[in-house]
Amino acid sequence: MSNAPVQGGGAGAPLSTKIANLVIAVILIAVAAAAIASTGDFPKTLLAADVGPARFPVIHASMLIVLSLILIANTLRMPTIVDDTPPVGVIGYVGVALGILATAVCLVAMAYVGYALATVVYMAALMWLMGQRSPLWNPVIAVAVTALIYVTFQSALGVPLPVGSLFE
Amino acid sequence: MHELGMLMNGVATLAANPMALLLSLVGVALGIVIGALPGLTATMGVAILLPFTFGMDPVSGLLMISGVFFGGVYGGSVTAILLKIPGTPAAAATAMDGFELTKKGMAGIALGTATLSSFLGGMASILVLIFLAPVLAGFALEFSASESFALAVFGLSIIASISGKSVVKGLIAGFLGLLIATVGLDPMGGFPRFTGGYTELFNVPFIPVMIGLFAAAEAFKSLEDPKVRLGMAAALGRIIPPWATYKALLGVVSRSSVLGIVIGIIPGAGSDIAAYVAYNEARRFSKTPENYGKGELGGVAACEAGANGCTGGALLTMLTLGIPGDAVTAVMLGALTLQGLQPGPLLFKEHADLVFTLFAGMIFCYVGMLVLGLGSLRFMGRILQMPKSVLTPVILALCVVGTYAINNSLFDIGIMLAAGVAGYFMQKWDFPASPVVLALIMGPMAEANFRRALSLSGGSYDFLYSRPITAILLTVAILTMLLPLVKRWRADRAAASGGGATGRAEPAK
Repeated sequence: MSNAPVQGGGAGAPLSTKIANLVIAVILIAVAAAAIASTGDFPKTLLAADVGPARFPVIHASMLIVLSLILIANTLRMPTIVDDTPPVGVIGYVGVALGILATAVCLVAMAYVGYALATVVYMAALMWLMGQRSPLWNPVIAVAVTALIYVTFQSALGVPLPVGSLFE
Repeated sequence: MHELGMLMNGVATLAANPMALLLSLVGVALGIVIGALPGLTATMGVAILLPFTFGMDPVSGLLMISGVFFGGVYGGSVTAILLKIPGTPAAAATAMDGFELTKKGMAGIALGTATLSSFLGGMASILVLIFLAPVLAGFALEFSASESFALAVFGLSIIASISGKSVVKGLIAGFLGLLIATVGLDPMGGFPRFTGGYTELFNVPFIPVMIGLFAAAEAFKSLEDPKVRLGMAAALGRIIPPWATYKALLGVVSRSSVLGIVIGIIPGAGSDIAAYVAYNEARRFSKTPENYGKGELGGVAACEAGANGCTGGALLTMLTLGIPGDAVTAVMLGALTLQGLQPGPLLFKEHADLVFTLFAGMIFCYVGMLVLGLGSLRFMGRILQMPKSVLTPVILALCVVGTYAINNSLFDIGIMLAAGVAGYFMQKWDFPASPVVLALIMGPMAEANFRRALSLSGGSYDFLYSRPITAILLTVAILTMLLPLVKRWRADRAAASGGGATGRAEPAK
């Protein structure tokens, strides 16, 4: 996704980028404001020479709000140009969403069935998602890679991998 | 020269101990593997191997650990360049230009440059350790909380230089990183901030965020285009850079090595800080700073020379003063003590033979790293010949397992996934990820040391200008932050006036 510099507002940006800039800036302002609000619950420091636990978060969040407002101002000032990069399309975004979903499912599954089973299914699913549809090679590659990672981490380096609550 | 004579004796002693030589090579090889795997750092590698060294003689055990240390710092660059998976925090800086070079089909030269620069940076640091240790050891004692705060601010000032296309977006990413860096226990009072009751958030989950922002985000991106899914990742190309090309980088490597050594000497500052600072200085002195971030060999050389230059610096204060420069040398300090050696000024008097044998072994480790590194690059580069439909799932599986390995925590995988999703959208809308990582490294260091310095000065802010090193570092930090902004502002003004005349920016209908 192309995006021109936002300083000065001399160069333009596609409409989609401008909308994204505005949405992200508003979200960041909301996050920063929430952070500042929650510092009100922080206790006062007992040390007379200390600034307390709230000072730095408040400074960072305030700067984030100021910079987000600058981004909004620059975005509104800059001209809209025609986007010449090919759009990702619905299929592309669905692919990404399914990949993220598969990772989340793998994370949850790992807690119950452990590393090995969750990773084999996860890898096979991702390969299928990426267009590798061989009914023979997908499981073979998934099992081989899972085993290689297991041997490297668990056996060679002694780093324990999750067993899964169903098998503990 | 007394040191040279002692070093020659050390070489002779080492040559008579082939087991120590073999174990140091094993250490380097293990270090490279550990460094290359996401989630496993040199610190973890040294800690894992520590129990195995108990039964060894001091030279073999300590050289094996040193090999893991050196190999671990270098190993992170391999996956950072090939796959944009920074195996170590320092390699996150290398990934900025290294992965861009891979996308251009220059992965081989990037890897070769990284290996040579790591070797030169590391060798320079060991030579300084051998010949200048007592002279430079006092420098570390000049660093108190106020100087460490100023160093962290100097590190943070680099954000303006690594912001990519938009300084405002880079600064937003930086301050977002700083805000995230405040999650966890308050460094002075221990009060939990923004943790939501989760004990897993008591420490900033820095490495899961880094893996998510860099590796997972890139993997998610490759899921979006059906046309590239079944294609090859990239070509490896030539490995050893042409002499004319590398000769032009020698200035960058020398400067970065010196910066790495100096930063390594400072307690609390490690190879991650050295890599970012070296990158910024390389960009500052470059005739083509605009190429940095788009695939510039100088960027790779600077990060690697700086990160590996740090190794000797960190060892210097550990051996001469008993002060570990970073987490790895803290574990190594334990290894020395377990071998019956007490680091400090007396170590060089009471165990001079052993110390100089170790120094000779460290040189051997770096030579071994060069040979093993260059020898294995063609093999490791074969990763790029895998179809993306296999490589992307492997990357994501490594991200998941590597993140879990840090704290044996599934919660961390959730953090990595969230950072991966955020990184995907950041990449899409040109918010750079590097400032977030830099802020996560420097933010806690800046806050903790500022508040410590303030307490030490009784609440007075005088320490900001009354201590020379602090004042100099803060001045340089302000200049580093403002100069790119002024340059960009002037360039935008020129472009705006020129653009108006040529009509390059076309308003939409």
